[in-house]
Amino acid sequence: MTADSLMESVRKARRGVGIAGPGRPRRAPRRRPTTRGMTFVLFAVPSVLLLLLLNLYPLLYAGQQSLRNGSLVDAGSFVGLQNYTGILTSQSFWHATEFTVVFTLVGVFGSWAVGLGLALLLRPGVPARGALKVLLLLPWVVPIVVSSTSWNWLLATPQSPVPLLAKHLGFGDVLFLADPALAQVTVCAFKVWVSFPFMMMMMASALTSVDSTIYEASRVDGASGWQTFRLVTLPLIARPTYISWILMTIFCVNDFPTVFLLTGGGPVNSTQTLVVLAYTTVFQDFQTGPGIAIAFLMTIVLVAVSVTLYRQIRKARIE
Amino acid sequence: MSARWWRFIALTLIAVVVLVPLVAVVALSVQPSLGSAATGPTWENYVKVFTQTNISSWIGNSLLVTLATVVVAVVIAAPAGYVLSRGRGRLVVGFSLALFVIQSLPVITAVIPLFILFAQFGLVDTLGGLVVIYVGATMSVAIWMMAAYFDSIPITLEEAAWVEGCSVFGSFTRIVLRNSLPGILSTAIFSFLLAWNDYLVAVVFLRSAQNYTLPIGLETFFQQDQTNWGPVMAVAVVMMVPPIIVFAVLNRFFSVGGIGGSLAGR
Repeated sequence: MTADSLMESVRKARRGVGIAGPGRPRRAPRRRPTTRGMTFVLFAVPSVLLLLLLNLYPLLYAGQQSLRNGSLVDAGSFVGLQNYTGILTSQSFWHATEFTVVFTLVGVFGSWAVGLGLALLLRPGVPARGALKVLLLLPWVVPIVVSSTSWNWLLATPQSPVPLLAKHLGFGDVLFLADPALAQVTVCAFKVWVSFPFMMMMMASALTSVDSTIYEASRVDGASGWQTFRLVTLPLIARPTYISWILMTIFCVNDFPTVFLLTGGGPVNSTQTLVVLAYTTVFQDFQTGPGIAIAFLMTIVLVAVSVTLYRQIRKARIE
Repeated sequence: MSARWWRFIALTLIAVVVLVPLVAVVALSVQPSLGSAATGPTWENYVKVFTQTNISSWIGNSLLVTLATVVVAVVIAAPAGYVLSRGRGRLVVGFSLALFVIQSLPVITAVIPLFILFAQFGLVDTLGGLVVIYVGATMSVAIWMMAAYFDSIPITLEEAAWVEGCSVFGSFTRIVLRNSLPGILSTAIFSFLLAWNDYLVAVVFLRSAQNYTLPIGLETFFQQDQTNWGPVMAVAVVMMVPPIIVFAVLNRFFSVGGIGGSLAGR
């Protein structure tokens, strides 16, 4: 994270940060505007073309196809809003929406709390810091296919290690993946396990940008550890925290493998999220229209939310 | 005992608990199967996997797809990141907003129409088709990461070069890129992880067994024989070793912290 703190200070220096807070960013010099502008356009073109092909086209196609009764090989005929009314009146859609919300809330705040806690413990000074950091990042680095296989081995049947342990401790038969309510808890726990390292990295880099003399100052003023954390540290990392919540919300809502590989959406659809529902509707039930309509509804909501949030981040910067 | 040792002990305990699932994978992969002559740790599961499955072709496919994704992603994201870092004005702000919106789109929405589109061009069930989608999927974060790193390079160097008559392109390749190895590595690591670990795109697009990448290979193998954990875990170990090595060696270059900065603007 050294590059980060360096970057932060360079950025601050460039802004000329004073007592009154950061000033406006310096304007780039307008030297040779035409050739420079042309080069910039050329620089951006490959990525823009790729993103248009891979995002705009599918979006338009999905929007149009959600109004038809086609399949993966056939465009089908126009059916109006039938797919949407079908979805919006189906119980499985609302159930999946509900679980997506729960899964996202637990995923975001659970992994944030764990990640921030670990980032605080990992502040410079702790012995073997680098090794501990790499070890704690592993759940995020290892493929979900691998970790879900392992969690399955640990939890899936009554003969698995963790249920056996629970039985020995007197909890009786704990069916982590077979009981609908418990499976929801397990999936959320798995998501936190997978995601906390990302939050740990985000928070660690936010903490390094906090000037360490401010901690000394608050200690001199007689603040306790908790007071320092709540009144000094938290407000100072509020912005990176907010951004990390937004990113993690997006990751959680769009997450497919974490749920699908652990439970496949079961038992009795209790852990079905909207993405899993869209996937199974299209690729297992072969109902392309309704499946695309689910995905498209999600997309519209996400785009609206993300544009709003983006505006807010930008506005907060100027204030 | 001082506070830093308490922190060390707490972190070690947490790490031990957190890593149980990964240690279990390794332990099971070297455990002799039922009816085997071996008593201690053994390589037999690995021997079995390499002789009886297509794992070498899965590894080859995964490596090919991942390396192609990394190279193409860096080549496309670096200049775009430069625009985001140095550019000002409405177009750049629009570009930045577009990247954020695109990052928030569910992959599933893109996958279904792309499956239909790619089918028309014969790109379904090809590794090339996979690379195109992976590069697209890395783009937003890759561009933010490159931009975040470019921000740390003072623009004065480029200004001096321009005064000397160097073009923007020349100053980008000769000054900026040359000093951006950590930023490039960070982007490369991110795209490596995305491509190597992906399950959703591969499971939709890959149909024939000879094109399987490791995640799909492991998953089909797991579905075939759910009770025989040893060989399954041997495949899992093969699959998790490359990202772990990459991360252990290069982790000091990897930083997601910059994402926030470039996302929110400077």
